[in-house]
Amino acid sequence: MRVVVPIVLATILAVVTAHAVVTPVADTRIVERVDFANDVLPILAANCFRCHGGVREKAGLNLSDPARVRALLSSGHTPVVPGKPRESELFARITTSDPDERMPSDGTPLTQREIGVIRGWIEEGAEWGTHWSYTALSEPSVPRVNAAAEQWARVPLDFIVAALHAKEGVKPAPEADRASLLRRVALDLTGIPADEATRAAFLADESPEAYAKLVDALLASPAYGERFARLWLDLGRYADTQGYEKDSHRDIWAWRDWLIAALNADMPYDEFAVRLLAGDMLPNATEDDRLATAFHRNTLTNSEGGTDNEEFRMAAVFDRVSTTWQAFGGVTFQCVQCHGHPYEPIAHAEYYAFLAYLNQTADADSDDDAPRLAVEHAGVKTSAPVLVELAAEARRSTRVLARGALSAPGEVVQPALPRALYACEAQPADRLAMAQWLASTANPLFARVAANRAWETLFGRGIVETSEDFGVMGSGASSRALLDHLASLLVARGYSMKALLREIVLSATYRQSVVASAQALSRDPDNRLFTRSPRVRLEAEQIRDQALAVSGLLSRKVGGPSVMPPQPDGVWQVVYSGSAWTTPANEDRTRRGLYTYLRRTSPYPSFIAFDSTSRETCTVRRLRTNTPLAALVTLNDPVYLECAQHLALAARAEMDDAAAARLMLERALGRSATLEEVARLTQLITSERARYRGHDDLATLLAGKAAEHSTDLARDAALVAAANAILNLDDFLTKS
Amino acid sequence: MQPIDPRIPLAAQTRRTFLGAGLGALASGAGAFSLGGIALGELVANSGGVVDPLAPRAPQFPARAKRVIYIHLAGSPSQLELLDYKPKLAEFHGTPCPEEYLKGEKFAFIKGHPTLLAPQFKFQQTGSVGMWTSELLPHLRTIEKEVCVINSMTTDQFNHAPAQLLLHTGESRFGAASFGSWVGYGLGCETRDLPAFVVLVSGDKTPDAGKSVWGSGFLPSVYQGVQCRASGEPVLYVKDPAGMMRETRRATIDAIADLGRASFARHGDQETEARIAQYELAFRMQTAVPEAMDLTRESPATLEEYGATPGAPSLANSCLLARRLVERGVRFVQLYDWGWDGHGTSPSDDLLTQLPKKCREMDQPVAALVRDLRRRGLLDETLVIWGGEFGRTPVVEYRDGKKDFLGRDHHPHAFTMWLAGGGVKGGTVYGATDELGYRVAREAVRVKDFQATVLHLLGLDHLRLGYTHAGLNHRLTGVQGDALVVRGLLA
Repeated sequence: MRVVVPIVLATILAVVTAHAVVTPVADTRIVERVDFANDVLPILAANCFRCHGGVREKAGLNLSDPARVRALLSSGHTPVVPGKPRESELFARITTSDPDERMPSDGTPLTQREIGVIRGWIEEGAEWGTHWSYTALSEPSVPRVNAAAEQWARVPLDFIVAALHAKEGVKPAPEADRASLLRRVALDLTGIPADEATRAAFLADESPEAYAKLVDALLASPAYGERFARLWLDLGRYADTQGYEKDSHRDIWAWRDWLIAALNADMPYDEFAVRLLAGDMLPNATEDDRLATAFHRNTLTNSEGGTDNEEFRMAAVFDRVSTTWQAFGGVTFQCVQCHGHPYEPIAHAEYYAFLAYLNQTADADSDDDAPRLAVEHAGVKTSAPVLVELAAEARRSTRVLARGALSAPGEVVQPALPRALYACEAQPADRLAMAQWLASTANPLFARVAANRAWETLFGRGIVETSEDFGVMGSGASSRALLDHLASLLVARGYSMKALLREIVLSATYRQSVVASAQALSRDPDNRLFTRSPRVRLEAEQIRDQALAVSGLLSRKVGGPSVMPPQPDGVWQVVYSGSAWTTPANEDRTRRGLYTYLRRTSPYPSFIAFDSTSRETCTVRRLRTNTPLAALVTLNDPVYLECAQHLALAARAEMDDAAAARLMLERALGRSATLEEVARLTQLITSERARYRGHDDLATLLAGKAAEHSTDLARDAALVAAANAILNLDDFLTKS
Repeated sequence: MQPIDPRIPLAAQTRRTFLGAGLGALASGAGAFSLGGIALGELVANSGGVVDPLAPRAPQFPARAKRVIYIHLAGSPSQLELLDYKPKLAEFHGTPCPEEYLKGEKFAFIKGHPTLLAPQFKFQQTGSVGMWTSELLPHLRTIEKEVCVINSMTTDQFNHAPAQLLLHTGESRFGAASFGSWVGYGLGCETRDLPAFVVLVSGDKTPDAGKSVWGSGFLPSVYQGVQCRASGEPVLYVKDPAGMMRETRRATIDAIADLGRASFARHGDQETEARIAQYELAFRMQTAVPEAMDLTRESPATLEEYGATPGAPSLANSCLLARRLVERGVRFVQLYDWGWDGHGTSPSDDLLTQLPKKCREMDQPVAALVRDLRRRGLLDETLVIWGGEFGRTPVVEYRDGKKDFLGRDHHPHAFTMWLAGGGVKGGTVYGATDELGYRVAREAVRVKDFQATVLHLLGLDHLRLGYTHAGLNHRLTGVQGDALVVRGLLA
């Protein structure tokens, strides 16, 4: 919470700076104490660190380092003299009227408010502080709200949202209708629409517990693990090939199945994280514990001729460092590989000290991805590359590498955590101890990042929108109280992700309708105040899974080797390799998207069009684009046409075109169709039925399955055209 | 320029970035990245309320080139047989390579102490300008006055995939944004019926680094290259399903749009309006792409000049298609031709047979393309780039000691590329290697310098074309910011 309201008084007085430049400056006395982390750091980060941070240190000045801010510069100036703004070069340079002297040199001058904050901070002694996300997590108290809001709220998080609404003078949207809520929560928790039985049970149940029962059923469904495994496949950069030029096949799908099982069992999130990073080192580690560590064996392997194995082994270790911090810490660590962090308080040597924890595993950059663990999953014998710690006598020493280059080794470093996050002298001894610290409340970021990810998955945008960056250059939290409440809840519930998700989806905040009031649109255009449910385009895999599900084609088989569903001929052209894309005739054609074989150099094209990635590195957050190439997929990909044919087949028995249109719309959208929707689709069926009359050959081709034993080919073709349109409706592609 | 910010949804970020930058430039009068001549109202109207990330944008400063055709010879041809003439190499043929070159040297395949290999084809100065060119390139001699040959290219990668990635994405590892993506991000596209960044592949295989060399990496996927194919569907999923009449596709898109508008009326979600516009574009693309890719529309004389045969994938077809695409407003056309990796281990990579064969397939259409662009008045604003990802060694490679064929190994220290058209000093040779062609002797051009120069020709400052991702301000030319525009290449 901000504690400071700087008040700018309109008194004008002359300020004599060290450069004797006389500048009129508004008196910017602060009536309350300035808080460094909340008030000063964002100003420095936005305006100064680009040149005076951990990378460039122009004029020898690094404003991200508290010691150096108060030390004499070679120019004879001192950036900050506590208590004395007029002797502080920093203050002089942001207030001078000389354009050659004024900072920032290539940007707009600081505002009077910002100057006032810096002045107040220096006057009060220029005390340093810690960026909010690096401070210990504590549970915020639940705010008091008025009676109407109390009536509206269902769970504690709603009180925080209601207080936010009251402060900003906005109101929440009414609760969504039951069918919309059903579709939303099923897509959110399982990635696919609810099956017919779940749906019917919910809509028939008028009791107040009906929704909670639905949520429990969805959380208990095996599809839950599949849905959330998809997130971890992106974070863990899972693929079925090794990457680089040869991009040969790699058996590692057993790890994907481990994820699904662990998530379905609701393994406590701290234990989950420890197993991913160091399951092999647990006392009495089981086969499953070892398999979990395949997480960090998803790194690329280069088997091209003449390559230096050590170079690519290190490339994999660099990637593990970066991925570890992205997935569990929300910290951008990659840049510290080459130099001090440009704006976070992390030194270059600290990167390598952390890397030392991950630099003691037996794997090298070799074709066979050894060491591997033989396992049996889904009735199939397979194996997966895993982490194995080197024996004591074989341990590597880790050196600082200038600019990240192997050719520039520096001092040897001992394993240690970054000081900004861990102040104790005694350092965790090994990878397991490091993982146990990382996955605990001692790491202030761990629960916050996890809670934010849960929110992002449900709402399409995190409370910290830059879910990959909780640092000073990130977007910050739209409500720190909300984030810390959820993170505390996760800890209090024994790190049960299902419990956290359940609490959120049961909230009044989540249950709002997507319809924005005029007031909400004007006061909260980007929905940062949670005044309605967000409308979010579905993810690549969800779009395909949903089309298969509503047309009755989706296989519900869980786990096993990755599959090769239909893709256009010629996509799979591989240099130096005889491997082929072979589409099976069985249900493996229509499995959920997360089982689709992912070749890094040639990912499944229909997913890429909807912003999936080739999983070369950790993806924390997919962007959402809106392009004609995506439209062409759902319009013309044979997979979607097959779905349309099956949807039409289901509607063919309806003699009346309007009834057929209604049936298809309601199946696809999971809600009652509007009169307008039915009328427009009926019009389409009528016009296309007329068009195909007398063109039986074309009608047969278009209708496919829907033309079997047909009595009216033109009508079948028209129904398929209508089904094709339905699978492209904005309401179908969007969660609402 | 203000980088697009991955922290904000694309629709909002494009709105904020472009509007913010445009207004900022207006207010300060500075040369910041601006919307140039594009009226805001027009952008918004064309994209249903959301600023279109592919709308054409003015360059940061006056551009010499508006579009690029980049012919990449994947595998890398031998500069020593084509454009870097080294008579000394013939003199010392068969002698051991001097020790001084081999200290700390790593080869991809050569083992032991290698011997020098003479140029295997005749060089002459018989072209219009009098450059030293190989007998394998008779057609190039006819366009010499348009061409600026760089004999002093150098890279630090000696395997195909990392070297291709470095050249096309600025990073030797996977995950960065490709050249064409950066250009689309910086300049948008002049046509909305075709993609901004088109990729054409010939020689049966995709490049070693796969689709990553035209991926968008950390940039929004809207900027990735779209592969247009010579056979089958020219763009994936561009053809209507079998049996669907064109009028039926029109009718379905109209129904989708009508119900989209009804949804917009209920929710007021701007993405809905943007989607309606994208479906309309998709419909137009369905006609425009096959039309642009249809070589039968060219005259027999043109087909003959290029040596193109409609329907069969070939570099000749790709060259002619590239001209058709830039003519229609495509910003960046990337050609990849596979089959230049002349190790000398089999008939398919033999220096004496495969290289002349590949040159016969390449020389005529490439020269025809440059000539054709000139004739149509397009060359002044179109930059043509030619080259592989590295060079070939001045020493011979006998894989496993076998001497049935002749070849050279991968060579990162020196190689040749050439530029023609938009803002390039034609009829010149830039830089030089030492007498044995082993290392660059003067005017070295690093990959990042080459990239900075190409961006400069397009009116983009490589230091100001950035995108923040995972804490780094990424640029095509790398985070260090030490790339140099090579002034000696500019007209």
